[in-house]
This record gives sequence, C-alpha cells and structure tokens, in this order.
Amino acid sequence: MSKDVLQGNTMSREEEILKGLYEHTLVGEASQVKELTEEGLERGMDPLNLLFGGLIPSLQEVGRLFEIGDYFVPEMLVAARAMQGAMNILRPILADTGMKPIGKIVMCTVKGDVHDIGKNLCNIMLEGSGIEVVDLGVNTKPETIVAAVEEHSPQLVGFSAFLTTTMPFFKPNMEALAKAGLRDKVKVMVGGAPVTQEYAEKSGADGFAADANATVRLAKKLLQDMGYDVSMGDGNTDAGGAPSALAAAVEAVEDMMKKAEH
Amino acid sequence: MAQMTSKQRFMAALNREPLDRPPAASIVSVINYELMDIVGHHFPEANIEPEPMAELAAGAHDVMGFDSVMPIFSIAQEATALGCEVDWSDKDMMPNPTTSPWSDREAEMRLPDGFPDSFLDDKYVRCAIDAIRLLKGHFGDEVMVLGKVMGPWTLSYHVYNVQEFLYDTIIDPDRANRSLEILSPVPVAFANAQLEAGADAIVWADHATGDLVRNTMYRDFLLHRHQDLIPQVVFPDGKRAPVILHCCGKSLDRIQYFRDAGFAGYHFESANDPSEMVAGADGKVILAGNVNNPITLFSGGPEEVRLEAQRAIDAQVEIIAPECAVPLQTPVANLREIVETCKDNPSH
Repeated sequence: MSKDVLQGNTMSREEEILKGLYEHTLVGEASQVKELTEEGLERGMDPLNLLFGGLIPSLQEVGRLFEIGDYFVPEMLVAARAMQGAMNILRPILADTGMKPIGKIVMCTVKGDVHDIGKNLCNIMLEGSGIEVVDLGVNTKPETIVAAVEEHSPQLVGFSAFLTTTMPFFKPNMEALAKAGLRDKVKVMVGGAPVTQEYAEKSGADGFAADANATVRLAKKLLQDMGYDVSMGDGNTDAGGAPSALAAAVEAVEDMMKKAEH
Repeated sequence: MAQMTSKQRFMAALNREPLDRPPAASIVSVINYELMDIVGHHFPEANIEPEPMAELAAGAHDVMGFDSVMPIFSIAQEATALGCEVDWSDKDMMPNPTTSPWSDREAEMRLPDGFPDSFLDDKYVRCAIDAIRLLKGHFGDEVMVLGKVMGPWTLSYHVYNVQEFLYDTIIDPDRANRSLEILSPVPVAFANAQLEAGADAIVWADHATGDLVRNTMYRDFLLHRHQDLIPQVVFPDGKRAPVILHCCGKSLDRIQYFRDAGFAGYHFESANDPSEMVAGADGKVILAGNVNNPITLFSGGPEEVRLEAQRAIDAQVEIIAPECAVPLQTPVANLREIVETCKDNPSH
C-alpha cells in the first residue's frame, strides 16, 4: 500500500477501498472487508491489487503486532477469518499464471501434540510469501514426515510443538530424516510457544522462529542459503506479484478456517 | 529444625510457616519412561486404570523423593465425560481430546444429563478419584497427595475447541462466557470428590496463558469466576482446601490478577524470571516452579538442574518443581537432583 494511502492524503475511492481493507482486516471486521472487496471488484479494481494493496499487508501487520506483543492469538484469528471473507470472493477470479513458488516446505505439529493454531498462521504467512506449503496436520509421526519429504521433495521442513512434553519429538523426527538419507537434503525449522533458540540448536534444527512473521524471514533466509532466488512473493504489486502464491495463500486461509469449523 | 514429613513440609510452605528445607514437588506430572520401567506401569494403563495410575504416581516419592504425588498426569481426564473423544491408547503420549462437541455452533451447550453424579461415575474421572484414594491409603499423612482439575477456561478448550473458543473471546464473548459459566461447576465437583477421596490439595489448571491471550482476558473472563469458585473447593468437613493454580507460559503480566483470585499457590514456568515472579506475587500467593523442562530437565544433566533449582530457591520460590508436565524422556537422575538440591538447602 502506498504511503499516501496509509497517511490518508486526498484519496480516490479506490485508495479508500485499499485503506479500508487494510484497516478492517487488521481488527477482524469481516463484513466490512467483504463489502469493500465486492465494491472494489465492481469498480474494476485488479484483484491482485486488492490482495497485495490491502489484505496481505494487513495480515503482515497482524503478524508484526503479534511479534511485538501487541496482538495475541485471538486477534490473529479474527483477522485471518475476516480475510477469508475476501478470499472467498477473490479466489475464483485469481488465475494462476504459472509462476512457480519460491520454495516448498513440509509443515506439521509433532507426534503427541494436537495444537495447530500457530502452525496454521505460519502456513498462511508462508504461502502469502510465495512458499508452497504441504501441511501434514497434527500429531505427526516421524515416518509420516519422512514419507512426505520423499513424496514432495521440499527444501524446508517445519516442526511445531506447543507443549514441553512434545518438544522432544523434534530430535526423533530429525533422526528419522537422517536414517532415510534425507536430513542433508532439507533445512529443518522448529517453533512453538515453549521452544527457544537454545532448544532448537540442541535438537539439531537449522533454525528457530518464534512466530509467523519470523517463520517467513527464516524460511527465506534458509532458501537463500541454499542458493534459491527469494526475490518474488514479497507482496510488491509493482513487480507483478506472484499470483500462484496468492492463490495458495487464499487456499491456506480457507483450509485453516475449515479446520476451525471442524 | 527437626526433620518434617513430606506433607508437613509441603503444607508449611503453602502456609508460609517455618520449614526444615524447601519442598520438592510433583505439581502436574513428573512421570517419565524410566520411572515407568522402574515401577512397572506404563501408559496407557496408567492413565485409565486406578492401580497402575496410583503406583506410577507413588514413584514420584518412593523412587525420586518428591514431597508430593500427583496421579492425574494429563489434561484430559475429564474430557470424555464432557462429550469429547479422547485418544487414550498411545503408550508414548499424553491423552488429548480429539473432538470438541461445542465447536458446532448449533450444538446445545450444557453439561451431561445427571451432572454431577454421571460425571463422577465416568470411567476416567472415577479412575482418578480411585487412584487418589489408593495413594492416600499408601501414604497416609506422610506424603502430600495432590489432586488436579481443569478449570472452565481449559475445559472450554476441550469441549469448544481451542481455536473457536479464542476466536469467540473477541467475536462472540457472550458465547465464550456462556461456556465458562456452564463448565464452572465441573472443576468444583471433581475437586471436591478428589478431596473426599483423600487429596490434601488441588491443582487447578486454567491455561489463560500469555502465550495465547492478553492478561486482560484473564481479568475480564476468569478472575471473578475464580474468586467465586475457589472458595467452593472444600474438604468433606466444609473447610476450604488449598488450591494451586497452574497456567503455562509467560505470566508475569497477569500475576497481579492471579494473586487476587483466591488461590493458595501459583505454579509457573521458566519463561518467567523467578525473582520477578516472587516480586509480582507480593506475598499474596505462594509460588511453585520453575525448573525448565526442555533445556534443563530433558536435555541437561544434574549440574544444570541443580543450578536452576538453586536459582528458584535463592529467589525464594516456596515450592521447587519442574515447570510443567515433564517430557516422558526426562531422566530420573535429573528429577532426583531437584530433590537433592532442596535437601542441600536446610532451614530455608
């Protein structure tokens, strides 16, 4: 979103719509987000602009506010669900231009742990940044992770644990990857409320991320370290965006909400 | 000072009376694979049958030397009785609810027919009560027998679904509050049944944690409920029982509310500096904790455990304990070191 729009200087209706999408998503006002999305499309606005100009920056701001402790999980959930209303409208319109994602990650909550809110929020941020996510869900056994890595050939693998009783499963997961000859082919990221950088290092992970925004930064850094170009998918409409990533982001939000409904 | 029994020591700490040394406690769970092998009882039987549950819990004192025993190892003991499906079958993990009946917004939110009798007759609820009775028979007044219940916030995670409940705290606070209201009698009924069976105090887990929600959520949704409910937790003679709050994660920003809720104690995690927590408690609630699980107890050795337990003792944390349920892979030697460190601090 442009600086002028953010500052509210002499805005056109289109700019007001982008500002409104940003602000209403930020506080989880779903009906307003839906209405503004519909109005924007009726006015002929580019759906990519609605996403990259209003919705995605808002969700990124939500992540930032969480990171600094101004937002907590409920605020993130209502924002994501408000965004879903817009996604339901935009998804059929978004055409995949065939641009490839910047990388692929297999994500899961470890064995014994059924907590997935944090992982799901990470998935949304990752997909919104152009990284394809293969989500294995909760209570994931090491052999399931190995099978998924063999099947999907990701560059990255992410383990989430919300309990101090389940954090020890990071290590068996990595041992299973090593036994299958896969550990050197992927970078492993870990996270979850009780997880720390120190524990991540002790368990042999390649990186630790404390929240969804940090997860995106770490994923991109690890991909870069592996020699991948991570310049696309940064939410820059002027650069043309990454429609496939956006479509994936839409899907991720919808998947998350479906899970919440069940 | 003359040597105290484990129960005397624990109760003296709760009452801020003179101690021969700080108590070392099992507050939520110190159960681990090594202890299971020593005692000869494993999951899942130890979560669903009273004798294995009691004998494994007793190992916390008989094998590791802790001053308290806690037979309810997981957070799921009440969940089946409230309509959740729970996977009790795994030998390698704590049981967890897998379905949440109130996540369907059309579902009627109410307690099971015949509550509290039907609830207290549930197999898994009864198992915990019977295990407490066995432990009391085994230890008498020598060792502190703790019971454990989930408060209405954590029960809402079970029956409402964590994500849906947290969402509604903002979008539909009336429905979230209704859940808390309906579930409030559950921990009181369960706690009082455990006290009748011989529990000496109750651990009350309510995870309005700083890892998930802001402190004002606790203040606005739970504080007044705790203030109302905790005095209802009573021994058969009507005397108020000591209740210890357990709430994981960062909590320094909400100790100001916890201390006014009526709890005798608060069990806290290593995410909080013990000295800062003692200052925050302001003498209004005793503290238990906060030896780190993943780094220290699971990954470290006895030396690291000793340093951290000593840090809590030096900060004047009253009861020394692991911060939360320990990983099942935690070595017995590390847990014993908490006890040994307490023994090396006489006349605390």
